[in-house]
Amino acid sequence: MSLLQLEGATIRFGGLVAVNNVSFSVEKGDLFGLIGPNGAGKTTCFNLITGVYKPTSGSIKFRGSELSGTPPNKVAQLGIARTFQNIRLFQSLTVLENVVVAAYLRHRVALPSALLYLPSAIAETERLKAEAMRLLEVLDLDRRAQVRSADLPYGMQRRLEIARAMATKPELLLLDEPAAGMNPQESDDLLLTVRQIRENFAMTVLLIEHDMRFVMNLCEKIVVLDHGIEIAQGPPETIRNHPKVIEAYLGEAV
Amino acid sequence: MDLTHSLLGAVDFGLLPQQVVNGILLGSIYALIALGYTMVYGVLRLINFAHGEVFMLGAYVSLFVAWGLGFGPGPVSPDQTSNWVNLVIMLVASMGVCAAVGMFIEFFAYRPMRNQPRIASLITAIGVSLLLQYAGALFLPNSPPVPIREEVNPYRANVLDVPLKPKSADLLAQTKQAQVALDEAERTLKDTVAAEGIKSEFDLSPEGKKVRDARNAARTKATVTQNAYDQSGLSLRIPYGQLIMFLTSIGLMLILRHVVMNTAPGRAMRAVSLDYDSASLMGVNVGRIITLTFAIGSALAGAGAMMNATFLGTPLTTFFGMQPGVKAFVAAVLGGIGNIPGAVLGGLLMGIAETLVVWVGYGDYKDAIAFVILILVLLFRPGGLLGSAKVEKV
Amino acid sequence: MYWPVRLASILAAVGGCFLLDALARGVDDYARRLIVLAGIWVILSVSLNLINGITGQFSIGHAAFWQVGAYTAGYLSVTFHGKWGIDGLPWMILMMALGALMAAVAGLIVGLPSLRLRGDYLAIVTLGFGEIIRIVVQNQKPLGEAYGMNVQPKFQTVWLVWLMAIVCIAVCRNLLRTAHGLPFLAVREDEVAAGAMGVNVTQVKVTAFLIGSAFAGVAGALLAHYEGFISPQMFKMEQSFIILTMVVLGGTGSITGATIAAVALFYLPERLRDAPPVTGAALLGGLIGTIVAVVLVKRTVDRFHGPKIGAATRYIGSVVAGIVLSLALGAGFGMIPKLASQSFEAEKLRMVIFAGVLIILMLIRPQGILGTNEFSLDWVKSLLRKRKAVEA
Repeated sequence: MSLLQLEGATIRFGGLVAVNNVSFSVEKGDLFGLIGPNGAGKTTCFNLITGVYKPTSGSIKFRGSELSGTPPNKVAQLGIARTFQNIRLFQSLTVLENVVVAAYLRHRVALPSALLYLPSAIAETERLKAEAMRLLEVLDLDRRAQVRSADLPYGMQRRLEIARAMATKPELLLLDEPAAGMNPQESDDLLLTVRQIRENFAMTVLLIEHDMRFVMNLCEKIVVLDHGIEIAQGPPETIRNHPKVIEAYLGEAV
Repeated sequence: MDLTHSLLGAVDFGLLPQQVVNGILLGSIYALIALGYTMVYGVLRLINFAHGEVFMLGAYVSLFVAWGLGFGPGPVSPDQTSNWVNLVIMLVASMGVCAAVGMFIEFFAYRPMRNQPRIASLITAIGVSLLLQYAGALFLPNSPPVPIREEVNPYRANVLDVPLKPKSADLLAQTKQAQVALDEAERTLKDTVAAEGIKSEFDLSPEGKKVRDARNAARTKATVTQNAYDQSGLSLRIPYGQLIMFLTSIGLMLILRHVVMNTAPGRAMRAVSLDYDSASLMGVNVGRIITLTFAIGSALAGAGAMMNATFLGTPLTTFFGMQPGVKAFVAAVLGGIGNIPGAVLGGLLMGIAETLVVWVGYGDYKDAIAFVILILVLLFRPGGLLGSAKVEKV
Repeated sequence: MYWPVRLASILAAVGGCFLLDALARGVDDYARRLIVLAGIWVILSVSLNLINGITGQFSIGHAAFWQVGAYTAGYLSVTFHGKWGIDGLPWMILMMALGALMAAVAGLIVGLPSLRLRGDYLAIVTLGFGEIIRIVVQNQKPLGEAYGMNVQPKFQTVWLVWLMAIVCIAVCRNLLRTAHGLPFLAVREDEVAAGAMGVNVTQVKVTAFLIGSAFAGVAGALLAHYEGFISPQMFKMEQSFIILTMVVLGGTGSITGATIAAVALFYLPERLRDAPPVTGAALLGGLIGTIVAVVLVKRTVDRFHGPKIGAATRYIGSVVAGIVLSLALGAGFGMIPKLASQSFEAEKLRMVIFAGVLIILMLIRPQGILGTNEFSLDWVKSLLRKRKAVEA
């Protein structure tokens, strides 16, 4: 059974078919790439998976059970976490607090104990903070834990997005253009980090990326979308030489 | 069936058209005020709470101009007559002063807040609103509430009468018949008085009583049929003043539409409302456009205020702007805030709803109906009637 | 170490309330009433801060929940007091509980649209609910219609009001001190991202409305039994605006800010009630002086980027300049007989000054008195540290 399986996933916005009959499946442990030119429907795919949009038709299965129609917070609880293309941190919260928000979905102490400031709530707060701190160490953000997240430099904000998504302890991590706006050095570092995450946390990673070099070096399987339609699927070597992909990226061959 | 009866009491639905027309007339004022809210919201994303107070000031300007024209608070001499020029002077003065006040408020209270969180501007707006209400109370006559004298309106006696349904010919015939019968009975009575030598009409003899009863019955029948005939037709009655009010409002709205759609400043206004930052980068002088928006919106409120105070005769206090202000704002949201036709539609609906509620006997709930409608509409169309709810891009 | 500290702080809070109660016995009825009302406004402001400042749901109809609490307690007291075999404090506690319950139900009803509406749309709907509730109450015979109703028995204690204020503050503070507060803040910051991180946005919003409105209900029950009389006029839209103003002025999301602003904004206008009348000359002079001072301060805020000491000197200088100018102009205008003879009662100037102060504060410090900070020793220390750093 695949970890994530899209079958004929389709969504229409008025007349526009943003994602048209897309099918692919992600196996446990994959480093899976989703690429395509601007407006190809990649982020919309993420939105379908994470429950921001409900597909018009088709099915999305996670560990064999249907996802479509599940609200985003339930999807996160089921074990799918994501980052956002246009960084959406909780800006006035600190770096640590951002991560604790995500870790909070595993809280075990009910709200009244917190309102009464009972020891159980304090202990849990400490536990979640410690957990978040460990993640920050992995992503090399621990020294900035008390900084307001809006005050972080851009590259660190991207890394914080990843740390935050990981704090939900997902089985499947969706990264939306994690290397966007990074210089080659930062991007190489990120590549190592993503590999490390997969090894150390046993996460499956599905990522959208524009940077071809990044995707080709990192991913083992790739799906290419163009105008909402899936045009190719396979390992990097196949994709690199696939005529339709070249056409989509470089325009029609003369 | 029982339910409607008990809820609506003795409501004569034949009067519905008249009530709807009254509602539209009132609604045109709400629409004028709502335009100010919606335009300011469109460019600044700010609920200009002080707009109702601009409206209030406009009414006072009209009042003072009326005083200046000889319709002062004291007794008015009978030969003092008014004409349309007076009304135009009041309207123009009110619009002009309101435009100035609007620009003044924008410059001193809102402009410094432009880069601040929106809630801070909102609190400033509430502050300006309170300031105008209470500072106004120090200087403006407001206790007891002062109305603008109705003598200033030269058309106060004229009423436009639009027949909707002709009076029943059948009933007319019956009325005539009854009248003839009545005349007959009267004559018989008189004849009897003359012939029989009955002392008077009030003779108590059986003979006299019989004739008299016959006459009385005829008289009752004549009255009943006459009444039935009078009420059989249906006509709309619109005082000239309110008709002028409505037409002026429509005229102003058309002018506004022309300005916004067909002129360079209007285009700039639309650009700012679509995207504030891009508009300023594309060479739109955003500051000037905002000032202009405030000026136009406030002038419309001034026009509404003058007409409300003059033709509807509401007495003025410095809190005069609160209720219409809130209702107009609700109207703007109802139509889809930031949307100009929406504000007009919302204003008219609000006027109709309010009039109908009063008409069916729930006048106590007049001020609540605006909000009830608003909440129902927003629950089903979160962007308002003509607005589109913005879908947030993820 | 946990329990000793906890118990000590609880004891201190309760003891403090009784101490305040004892102190309030020494002052006249009017002053005592002000102390009680200040406590009620603190509850209102801090509870709205939970909805508005912490959870970011733009609710501007808070007086409605206050009213629901007041009328629930008032009606039940008038109808059932003496029939259920309880009296005094237990009865008051019961009334507060029921007031809170009914207000929470109202909060739930108002909170539901917040699931679909955002920002200004939500604001106008909450405002509308407030007005609807007021108008409906105003038309109910058993509730005294527009005239209001007398509430028996009265329960006039200072300590209970302030204890409830402290409980309200403590609940909000505890929420923010534990991880449980973070989802609320996350919803304020970015609903979509919060949802994607597993935060149940619906539940968070509804919870905020429930807790916030329940405390407003408690404030209502306290008000009804302290004043012994309630009328729809006491819960008008303006009251909602004043509560909102307290929250924003204190610094959105700051609990201490909301508390300080509530006390300040409540006391300022009340103190002005018994100020002596002002002549037209002094008024005009004061007005011009104030405007000058504000303009000067605003310029410093916007343009001055030097050390804090320099800024502080400028602020003080501006204020002094304003005062001097006011006095000078006041004396100058006093020469004009017409201005000197005209006099304005302080009572009438009260709201004018209130509105003026509001505008000025927003112009000078739009983020509120405390910004998003909480007033604490650490915060003061960090301010001092920054100053030293700048000086060095």
